[in-house]
Amino acid sequence: MLPQLIANGLVMGCSYALVALGFALIYNTTRTFHFAHGGVYVLSAYLLYTFRNLWGIPLVPAAILTLLLIAFLGVAIDEVLYRPLVKRGSSQPIQMLSSLGLYIVIINLIAMFYGNETKMLSPGVQPTYTVGHIILARTQIVTAVTFVVLFVSLLFLLRKSRMGKTIRALRDDPELVSASGINARFFRWSVFALGSVLAGVAAILAGLDVGIDPNIGMTALLSGAVAVIIGGVGVFEGAALGGIALGLLQSLAIWQTSARWQDMVTFVVLIVFLLFRPQGLFGIRRRAEEMAG
Amino acid sequence: MNYLLHILVIICIYLVLGLSLNLIVGYTGLLSLSHAAFYGIGAYIGTLLMMNLGLGFLPSLALAVIGAMLLSLTISIPSLRLKGDYFMLATLGFQIIVFAVLYNWVGLTRGPFGIPGIPRPSLFGFQLRTVGHYLGFSVAVAAICLGLLFLITHSPFGRVLKAIREDEMAAAALGKDTPRLKVVAFSIAAGFAAVSGVLFATYMRYIDPTSFTLMESIFILSVIVIGGTGNVSGPIAGTILLIVLPEALRFLRIPDAIAANMRQVIYGLAIILIMRYRPQGLLGEYRFE
Repeated sequence: MLPQLIANGLVMGCSYALVALGFALIYNTTRTFHFAHGGVYVLSAYLLYTFRNLWGIPLVPAAILTLLLIAFLGVAIDEVLYRPLVKRGSSQPIQMLSSLGLYIVIINLIAMFYGNETKMLSPGVQPTYTVGHIILARTQIVTAVTFVVLFVSLLFLLRKSRMGKTIRALRDDPELVSASGINARFFRWSVFALGSVLAGVAAILAGLDVGIDPNIGMTALLSGAVAVIIGGVGVFEGAALGGIALGLLQSLAIWQTSARWQDMVTFVVLIVFLLFRPQGLFGIRRRAEEMAG
Repeated sequence: MNYLLHILVIICIYLVLGLSLNLIVGYTGLLSLSHAAFYGIGAYIGTLLMMNLGLGFLPSLALAVIGAMLLSLTISIPSLRLKGDYFMLATLGFQIIVFAVLYNWVGLTRGPFGIPGIPRPSLFGFQLRTVGHYLGFSVAVAAICLGLLFLITHSPFGRVLKAIREDEMAAAALGKDTPRLKVVAFSIAAGFAAVSGVLFATYMRYIDPTSFTLMESIFILSVIVIGGTGNVSGPIAGTILLIVLPEALRFLRIPDAIAANMRQVIYGLAIILIMRYRPQGLLGEYRFE
């Protein structure tokens, strides 16, 4: 029982970690609390559903097409929604409320077109694999492998490449980046495209595993945001580890109590962290007054 | 006719919700996503006291308000030193925890089954029976709440809150105990939300946790963001607009299945446009700067 729950928790954690990495990439760089990330997540799942289940495109091309469109959507959100606000020097609450507005628009448009009921992306029973006492479905294994591959490549990109350095510079001082003759706008686009694709991958994998409905986005977004806080804002690896920790914790909460209290566990952990360790597990200690940036 | 009266009762309930949230958002400059939690806490405490302990309407109302104010301390005292999105996340967490408790503590709240048959109040021997009676009652309650909120915001206390919003450091330097004032403002707002909750419960005569979700908190926040915050007229305009306008959609013969979603799409777009072109809202004065 316990090894199975730990395995399930780790896989769930990989899924949270993907959303959290995307959220962290955008949040750490632009300081925008990107509520619309949840909308991007839901839309990815429904795009895949449309291409694959309604139009009959095979899974891999359908997924690639979905992720391409989602990357464009991420950039479009930045251009249309955030850029005019940033240019005007609008405050954080204004950007956050606009983002929340966009999230509301996206999920309700989806509900209008597709209905509120759960849709199955892959009907039927998935093949499963047994290792010792642990049984894993194929999608769960794919989720874990995808997470490891993406996480390692992202770490490499952010630590070792020039792009990673520029993105970190963009966080500290966007104007100085522009003044140094670097096309800051392009790097902002990359951040939004990459962040949205990460959410898209997580949405597709979770959708294939358990099905989709218009409300999966808020849960995913909140788990991602909580993971970022647990791991530490500003620390990229922290977001991934925070996601995995959260997945494990929720899984163990099922073991000790019941699935109904999962949300409660997530947010009790969030509040405990906000109160006692606002810098997260791996973050740099700063004064609370500085946290709003 | 009853339909029109029903809408007016709902407007009264949301006026109190909007104007009390305004005390937090428009006067202290903090975004809170937990107002539906206090609305729900008020509704449940009031209902359970009336139905399980047989208390009268007024004592139940008073205890619901006190209960919500005390519970608000559990979130406001620890989180008011946080700012911006951290504060918003803490209140969002509180909202989700309260919903989980209302939904899962079946022994006390009957969880998803809800509580039916809540008695209509009877005051000084007069039993409120029709929707018309109830409208008169809720107008009176809303007027009292609005009057109190007006006095609070126009008192020295309200002016200090505005000063905190504009420059907390300066207010503190002048000797104002800013964290304590924010905690007090937060609990006053929670208390008024509880009044709305009791009104809602005794009007609908049935409550279940789905009336007090995160989406409801987002809705209350959008009411005052669209109408405007930081004064009295903004939230009033927002409430009337966001309650009445969607009702007009009913007459456009939009199928029921999509009408609810359509309404939400309009709210979402309205928030985006307001934030872009008029951050102080339709009639408000605070620009979130």
